[in-house]
Amino acid sequence: MLEPVKKNWRILLLVVVVVGATVALFAPQFGPQTAPGENATEAQQGVTNLQYGLDLAGGTRVRAPLLGYTATGVDFGGDTPVEVEEAVAAELDDTGARNVGTYVEDDARQVEVTDASVSEDQFRAAMEAAGYAYEDVRPGVTPETRDLAQEIIQGKINEAGLSGGSVQQVQSITGRYFMLVEVPGEGREDVVSLLEERGTVQIDIAYPTDNGTAVEEAVLIQDDFENIGTATQREGTTQSYVPVTVRNTAAGGEQSPAAGFQQAVADRGFQSAYQTETDRCEYNTETGEIGNDNPCLLLTVDGEVVNSFGMDPDLAASMASGEWAETGSFQLTTGDFATAETISVNLRAGALPAELDISGQGTSSTISAAQGESYKTYSLVTGILAVFAVAGMVFLRYREPAVALPMIVTALAEVYALLGFAALLSYPLELAVIAGFIAVVGTGVDDLVIIADEVMSEGEVNSRTVFDSRFRRAFWVIGAAAATTIVAMSPLMVLSLGDLSGFAIFTILGVLIGVLITRPAYGDILRRLLTIR
Amino acid sequence: MVAIEVPEINYTEYSNRQLVAVPLAVLVLALAIIGGWYLATGAPADLGLEFTGGVELRIADDGGDVEQQIETAFERQPDSVRSIPADDVYVVTFRAADDDPEGLANDLSTQADEAGLSTEAVDQVSPSFASDTARTAVFGVGLAFLGMSVLVFALFRTFVPSIAVVASAFSDLVIPVAVMNLLGIQMTLGTIAALLMIIGYSVDSDILLNNSVLRRTGDFYESVSRAMRTGVTMTLTSMAAMIVMAVVAAVFGVDLLRNIGIILAVGLCADLMNTYLLNVSLLRWYKFEGVSR
Repeated sequence: MLEPVKKNWRILLLVVVVVGATVALFAPQFGPQTAPGENATEAQQGVTNLQYGLDLAGGTRVRAPLLGYTATGVDFGGDTPVEVEEAVAAELDDTGARNVGTYVEDDARQVEVTDASVSEDQFRAAMEAAGYAYEDVRPGVTPETRDLAQEIIQGKINEAGLSGGSVQQVQSITGRYFMLVEVPGEGREDVVSLLEERGTVQIDIAYPTDNGTAVEEAVLIQDDFENIGTATQREGTTQSYVPVTVRNTAAGGEQSPAAGFQQAVADRGFQSAYQTETDRCEYNTETGEIGNDNPCLLLTVDGEVVNSFGMDPDLAASMASGEWAETGSFQLTTGDFATAETISVNLRAGALPAELDISGQGTSSTISAAQGESYKTYSLVTGILAVFAVAGMVFLRYREPAVALPMIVTALAEVYALLGFAALLSYPLELAVIAGFIAVVGTGVDDLVIIADEVMSEGEVNSRTVFDSRFRRAFWVIGAAAATTIVAMSPLMVLSLGDLSGFAIFTILGVLIGVLITRPAYGDILRRLLTIR
Repeated sequence: MVAIEVPEINYTEYSNRQLVAVPLAVLVLALAIIGGWYLATGAPADLGLEFTGGVELRIADDGGDVEQQIETAFERQPDSVRSIPADDVYVVTFRAADDDPEGLANDLSTQADEAGLSTEAVDQVSPSFASDTARTAVFGVGLAFLGMSVLVFALFRTFVPSIAVVASAFSDLVIPVAVMNLLGIQMTLGTIAALLMIIGYSVDSDILLNNSVLRRTGDFYESVSRAMRTGVTMTLTSMAAMIVMAVVAAVFGVDLLRNIGIILAVGLCADLMNTYLLNVSLLRWYKFEGVSR
């Protein structure tokens, strides 16, 4: 029972891989991930689970760096990050502490400026004037700012309901980071304006009156925030929060925003309403009414209420006593992390922490859906014809179907397995990937030719030993050739050169599948056909 | 039915010097073309949008005199206008002459709309991003070539056969670049991929030849003709695939696939010459004269 399995395991392995690829391509479990508010059928493009990239589906791709400069290896000289930010900002004309950030991780201390109007020289001068020694200044922003920008862009894409939109950070050879935004099915101008768009955000207070709920608007507006933190999860709980700081200074003896906010909160009776942790805000976003008698803070973006909050008893008490305005910081707490993230994004009203420089140092490209659709057909036709060309050549050379037919079938199985991989990884197919597939057919058949020629040289194959020794000899050449292809292609895989990493990944994957699975299987098939007569 | 018979070349009739002369002459010619191109234009090849920066629009050809409209629609003179009949589009390219290609892209697509042209695709690359890309590409090709060379030396561990492979791979890379210049094919990311692919493809037949001569028993000429039979079949098969891909993609106007096809076809052609003239003669010299020294 086990003997035939042992003898033909190479062929069986190929069959298993082909079956696996079929499952990955057609089974609904491996279908593409759905965007929020989208069902599985909508996410699926065509009958297979294959995903298509912008080239083949249409859409817009924008790649641009975040503007700013970062000083690395900064010696804070014992100052806190906030003090450093303020000191550096003070040395820059027209630049607030909002546009200066710090990043501390282990010993790596960095200071960044995200105001596009500050030049590198000005920043260097400000760092020196503020008295902080640094190692170097590089263009770009800190990792933290990049992550935040990525989060905000992703938030905008999700909010606009653009399914399949993605944003990632890519690094160029010079070490510069770029944000890569891809939105299928949208035009260039729509995407660029989405990225640049900025809403107005404010915090209102809703409070109960005898005639229902009334709202005191704009107790805090966007400019009142000194700092808006990133969403953070409380350890060991699902609770998350966004830390914010309200400015507690004002020009010319006016009331500071923090003091004004504190006054408004105290006037609306938050302290008496929120006595214990069980007191909740029951504001209903749909009706605009409060369910109980507790006043609520409302976060509104472009005039629409997006979140409502009650207040922690301690915070309400410190506001009522007037102590709070000295620090001006509080935390907006939510039940889960995702909501906290949305709030952090909402508070910024979609404003990126640094300017995305699409025109100066970026690139963008758009392909219409119709164009994508025709590219899809064309590349399919091109691929099929290329396979026919290879098949024709092989038949002309060998004129023996027993050798040539399995050769073509094996080469096709290789491409099929690759498609399965693409579906499994949800890797979007691009024109460059298609070119990679065609290259794989080319190299694949080359190696099969080497096997066939080697095995059939020097007369008849009359025993398994003869076959095996010849097959092994052929395999040395194939292995060496495969290794050179992989070495030649690997730089493309990691360098940031547009779609070409897809080409490289699939060529290398194809070579690996070929050497490890399909070529040994072809050897087995050939052995059966040649030795058993 | 026509069969492909790989011709047997009688190498004994030619001296090593005669055999080497042809590929060397072609290589020198190719280098001269690239050098001349560099002196004339400041770049070794005709650089595409990705390496120079600029804006490219694909405009739908919905009948009528679109070409005429394109002439008048834009405030700036396009650097090139290409028609792709199979796809019913015109590709209009503007090189980056100013610092604000994003604004230019917006202006151009607005101008196209106003002229009643429908834009199918817009590509915009800023000059500084483009020069970054160019550097990355050169670095990538260099790294790939270096990696391949190291691997080849590690595989054969003898100087002459290894350098023969590396030399013919170098020539396989240079000749397609020169041909690109002559045919007016732009250097784009797709062609860079094709050049890297040549490194992978072309070394196959060289390795096969070296393996056959160095690691197998038998007469030198027998080994060469055995390796040739397999190697030429391999190269011709790949070439067939690439030529078909180039022709079909050219008809459909899928530039990326067309360029990859053309470059690989030329590179494989160069590889036939380099492997069976340059590499063979170096190996013969090594086998009959070099070893005994």
